Amino acid sequence: MPTAVEAQTETRQSLPGKNRAVAICGPPNVGKSSFFNRLTGLRQKVANYPGITVEKRVGSLRLKDGGQVDLIDLPGIVGMHPRSEDERICVEILRGRSDTLPRPVAAILLLDSTNLQAHLRMVPGILGLGLPTLVVLNMADELEARGGSVDVEAVSAQIGAPVVLASAVTGTGMKEVLRFVQGSFAPPRKVELPVINNIPAERKWAHSVAARSSYHTPEPSLWGRRLDRAFLHPVAGPLIFLAVVIAVFQSIFTLAVPLMDAVESAISVSAGWIGALLPDSMLKGLLLDGVWGGVGSVVVFLPQILILFLFIGLLEDSGYLARAAVIADRSMRSVGLEGRSFIPLLSSYACAIPAVMAARTIENQRDRLATLLIAPLTTCSARLPVYALLIAAFIPERPLLGPFLGTRAAVLLGLYAAGFFAACGTAWLLKSIVLKSKPAPFVLQLPAYRWPTICSLAFRLIDRAKIFLRRAGTVILVTTIVLWFLASVPYQDGEPPPIGESLAGSIGRTIEPLVEPLGLNWKIGIGLITSLAAREVIVGTLGTIYGMEADEGSPALQQALQSELSFGGAIALLMYFAFAMQCMSTVAIVRRETGGWKWPAIQFAYMLVLAYATGFAAYRVFG
Amino acid sequence: MTGTESDSLDRLSPGVTAVIAALDFEEADRVRLMELGFIPGSSVSCQRVVPMGDLAIFQVEGTQVALRKETAARITLQPSSTTRNPDADSG
Repeated sequence: MPTAVEAQTETRQSLPGKNRAVAICGPPNVGKSSFFNRLTGLRQKVANYPGITVEKRVGSLRLKDGGQVDLIDLPGIVGMHPRSEDERICVEILRGRSDTLPRPVAAILLLDSTNLQAHLRMVPGILGLGLPTLVVLNMADELEARGGSVDVEAVSAQIGAPVVLASAVTGTGMKEVLRFVQGSFAPPRKVELPVINNIPAERKWAHSVAARSSYHTPEPSLWGRRLDRAFLHPVAGPLIFLAVVIAVFQSIFTLAVPLMDAVESAISVSAGWIGALLPDSMLKGLLLDGVWGGVGSVVVFLPQILILFLFIGLLEDSGYLARAAVIADRSMRSVGLEGRSFIPLLSSYACAIPAVMAARTIENQRDRLATLLIAPLTTCSARLPVYALLIAAFIPERPLLGPFLGTRAAVLLGLYAAGFFAACGTAWLLKSIVLKSKPAPFVLQLPAYRWPTICSLAFRLIDRAKIFLRRAGTVILVTTIVLWFLASVPYQDGEPPPIGESLAGSIGRTIEPLVEPLGLNWKIGIGLITSLAAREVIVGTLGTIYGMEADEGSPALQQALQSELSFGGAIALLMYFAFAMQCMSTVAIVRRETGGWKWPAIQFAYMLVLAYATGFAAYRVFG
Repeated sequence: MTGTESDSLDRLSPGVTAVIAALDFEEADRVRLMELGFIPGSSVSCQRVVPMGDLAIFQVEGTQVALRKETAARITLQPSSTTRNPDADSG
């Protein structure tokens, strides 16, 4: 395919240094992340929402000549006037003012070819940086499907930089992009560009460039409008939102069951093999009870976590999430936050750490602080294994709404709701007492609806599985091994002691008075301490403790819990995990983002009090 | 609805298109709104009002943007620029 790239490659520039960086920038929702995935194949979060790619992502590209190019995926920007933290990062890197990244040697400006007039407005600002720039008009497939067209050569001639019509989905034009990245960089040719930062002039210029490039605007997508009619309908909209949420929670239990059974039997079968292979020794005990029992009991929850992320990915990539934010705006507003806080809060359902960082997209500093303080109250995926274990052990499954909603899914939904309302209530407290501020104008771009691609969903799930298994292999493994040793000493007559007389046991008994008011015993108390490292560690801890206690094979963890905990105690434990800040990584990231220990300390204490008080109340009521 | 000098974006009914005249915000907010497409001279149409809360969704410079009523009220429209055309697109 002939493109404007070739015309530009004549003025070659040889570039020294082995790791050249090329920045990928552009407005939000132009498929930047898919484009990045296509080029590097590296795991990358694809978002269909402004401002979700908060962290810069770097992927390397091996070249045929053996060299290497670093590609930096920058957060979306709508202009050269950064307001939020992530936009600032983007502009800093492009200007070469970042402390952590060298100035890129070239830039790829990614624009949406289906909305060319509006997006060409970005060109003068980016070309004004003086970097060799390739302008990629993405979504060529959609442009064509909706009857639009553009003369790429004409655009290139007018802006003085190479232009490629491409599609990250179908792969059209990617060869030309690669050729650019391979090093044929030429600085932009001098052409008449409108005065940078005069937005009305830039708009006029962009419209005229589009007109002189025989740009044919594609037909508006009709089904997008129809979907909006349903999703934003005053009655149907909130009902659809509710139905979607219920479907997600129900499938976390129903769809995951066969997968979890498979993982569980794989672990117990392999434990049997190891048991048969190894002679009786302390090492065997460590491997079987400590590692296999502890880590295995956490890994079982991988299917549920992946199903949760599959749904989050579908909602985000399809564009539905922005509509949900519109529906949620009213409730966000009633607690004093803007609708935009909804996005970091939503990503905190995955994990509070990216959510705390995503709060950088909030322009108002007080709103940003309020958002990152309440983020750990929403139900992160690390709580899911704890909830799932306790619910399966204590809540009998009965249909509530026919086949659509069972008691277990309903309790899980209730726990998620409890976290959400605690977050909202706390936000309201914060905003009406310590963090009052004048509201900024609320503006939210609604991205076009798109079919989520299997590729981008797969990237997300692989990414999540890696993170989960890495945690299982590091934090959880280490705490499990340490705990196993504490539970195995001091030896009595050359034998490991009963767990109650071990070092772990005496630590547990020391703190027992503290957890007793919640209806919990010292074994659970040990779990509360170890799970400060990460919430799901408690499952591994209990797996280790109960695994070691059992003489005749290891009983299912659920049965062990049923005999140890009363119903009230189980509910109290659920409440404790719903509200306590049982995650040192979150404490660390809040310290980093707020620049001191003050806010994380307040946050930790507040959440602990909330957790203890609700746990105590729950035990009184249900115990 | 016919255009009068006091017309502002919040009074645009769904399906009606008009041209933006001015934005009454402090500089930083004004720039941000312009970057999102609310540029004097751009045509804007109201797509729908979301009755939950007080948001309205506008089509401007080829994108859909949700604004609160109070924000839309500070964007004035060119007099007599309104046309009724549900599928009007800018550009």
